[in-house]
Amino acid sequence: MELLKISNLYKTFKKHKVSAVDGASFSIFKGEVLGLVGESGCGKTTLAKLILRLIDADKGSIFYKDKDLLKISHSDMRKTRKSLQIIFQDPYASLDPRMRIGEVIEEVYDIHKDVTGREKKNKAIELLETVGLGETYLQRLSSELSGGERQRVGIARALATDPEFIICDEPVSSLDISIQAQILNLLIDLQKRKNLTYLFISHDLGVIGSICDRVIVMQSGKFVESGSCETIFRNPKHEYTKSLLESALLS
Amino acid sequence: MLLQIKNLKVGYGNIEVVRGVDLNIDKGECVGLIGESGCGKTTVGLSITKLIPERRGITSGEILFEDRDILKLNPEELRNIRSKKISYVFQEPFSSLNPVFTIYEQIKESLEEKDNSDSQIAEILKSVGLEKIIGRKNVYPHELSGGMQQRAMIGMAVASKPSLVVLDEPTTALDVTIQRQILELIMELKNKMNLSILFISHDLRIVFSIADKIGIMYAGKIVEYGLKEKIISNPGHPYTMGLMDSIPSFEHRKKLFNAIGGKAPLFSDLPIGCKFYPRCKFRIDKCLEKEPELENVSSGHVSRCIRIKDMHYGVIKNK
Ligand SMILES: Nc1ncnc2c1ncn2[C@@H]1O[C@H](COP(=O)(O)OP(=O)(O)OP(=O)(O)O)[C@@H](O)[C@H]1O
Ligand SMILES: Nc1ncnc2c1ncn2[C@@H]1O[C@H](COP(=O)(O)OP(=O)(O)O)[C@@H](O)[C@H]1O
Ligand code: SF4
Ligand SMILES: [Mg+2]
Ligand SMILES: [Mg+2]
Repeated sequence: MELLKISNLYKTFKKHKVSAVDGASFSIFKGEVLGLVGESGCGKTTLAKLILRLIDADKGSIFYKDKDLLKISHSDMRKTRKSLQIIFQDPYASLDPRMRIGEVIEEVYDIHKDVTGREKKNKAIELLETVGLGETYLQRLSSELSGGERQRVGIARALATDPEFIICDEPVSSLDISIQAQILNLLIDLQKRKNLTYLFISHDLGVIGSICDRVIVMQSGKFVESGSCETIFRNPKHEYTKSLLESALLS
Repeated sequence: MLLQIKNLKVGYGNIEVVRGVDLNIDKGECVGLIGESGCGKTTVGLSITKLIPERRGITSGEILFEDRDILKLNPEELRNIRSKKISYVFQEPFSSLNPVFTIYEQIKESLEEKDNSDSQIAEILKSVGLEKIIGRKNVYPHELSGGMQQRAMIGMAVASKPSLVVLDEPTTALDVTIQRQILELIMELKNKMNLSILFISHDLRIVFSIADKIGIMYAGKIVEYGLKEKIISNPGHPYTMGLMDSIPSFEHRKKLFNAIGGKAPLFSDLPIGCKFYPRCKFRIDKCLEKEPELENVSSGHVSRCIRIKDMHYGVIKNK
């Protein structure tokens, strides 16, 4: 089943005349892990933000089920956003260092206003346990956590609204390889358990190859190649994909 | 031997973070130092030219460079080594370059001989693939991409024709394609100039692709050391095995990683016995008795694990 269908999406940043996303069309199917790979600056994060309407597209459509996200009202979008979440690359930048972890998670419920008081705290504890942290972290400041722990909090926060689709924007790129493996395990496990759908962004083909079903290769705002992981890794067609694979040190 | 580090101990304040490291680098050799963030890699690298804050600082050891102990040199001799013989390239090229001076001015600063500097600088820029800025004397660091900045840094590092270059996570902030180019550049310069290199990184994949010998560091000590080929084909420490199992790849598709659980211990609260004990899949009570010594796994391949021989003789199943 098609969960999201994106057609002819464009975004130009006027000031610098950069075509960050230059005509993107693709579908994401329920329960799949779709990889998005490409070098720095090619437009991956911009595409992610467009899908969640965190920035406005110039033109195109984004169908989620039967609604075009680019056409629905802001209040409709706010409701829809509960089902569509994002985990960011930099666990340092995406958490306020002065906030306690409990607050970081409970804050999500304040925005969506559907869980109250004591229930919030119980939910927060449950989420912390899901991501392997536990109740003792409620009172910790995010500045006291390691990179891996922060990324777990980021994941807990994304899970708080019980989404069915999560964009993971370079969720492990800033982590050491051993911690990276722990976080990837957590993401793989959650995906299977909750039948989540991921758009998984990375410039690391090793990471993409290890967890994705399909891959889209992006270069300067355009899609140059897409297909099953098998096809892209075993039999890349486009020169750019080949050069990425060669660089990937997949020794 | 160009560089011999012997029993190096370094601390910050009242905490020791390098707890007795031995490491040798031969002429023209690239030694890789791997370990997770905070294990002491950078501190080892900085100690080589005594670039460590004085308070506490280096408390024991010898650093023999061309057979003289760097720790015993006078300030003048030390300055000479730092400006001519041993140079550094760090992770963030932008923060290591001085934003208010042009690339030309900064490379000129690191030249050994200042005569004829323009043609020397042109030569250097060419050797690091920055032909584009030859003759453009008014180019500042912020006008270059991350990859180009790192090329400029490498140019400055080799300008004085040093015999040893310490590269501390030189490609960590760059993207894969650029990473590859920088690694190729480093290899090319190494061969051309017969450079010795200490290559520090937490990414095994990168170190495997560039180093001749590898040291794996954990909690301030080397836990495994040997020829790259030996370590790859026959890892001699459970920590190394865990790191290798954590490398993401297409071949390991859709399986959970056999990841190392938990996290590295704090230096202020190190476990007794083997420091890897709390995270080790092979631990037994005996591992708690004392911190294991480095022992031979095979010739020129050592490991700090009391059970490694059992593992290699198949007494323990290597799951
Ligand atoms: N708010 C903005 N204003 C102007 N230009 C922008 C803005 N955000 C992104 N860009 C530009 O759009 C292009 C795509 O950026 P984007 O962040 O989507 O890249 P990316 O593929 O996510 O890169 P990375 O791998 O480095 O995260 C770049 O040229 C970038 O400089
Ligand atoms: N200038 C400093 N003052 C105090 N502690 C430091 C300083 N630099 C590093 N440390 C500490 O020393 C330990 C080793 O750090 P470092 O050598 O930078 O490790 P690595 O390069 O392996 O990440 C860490 O616990 C770190 O927090
Ligand atoms: S000595 Fe024991 S605890 Fe330490 S690495 Fe070896 S088996 Fe593991
Ligand atoms: Mg991005
Ligand atoms: Mg370091």
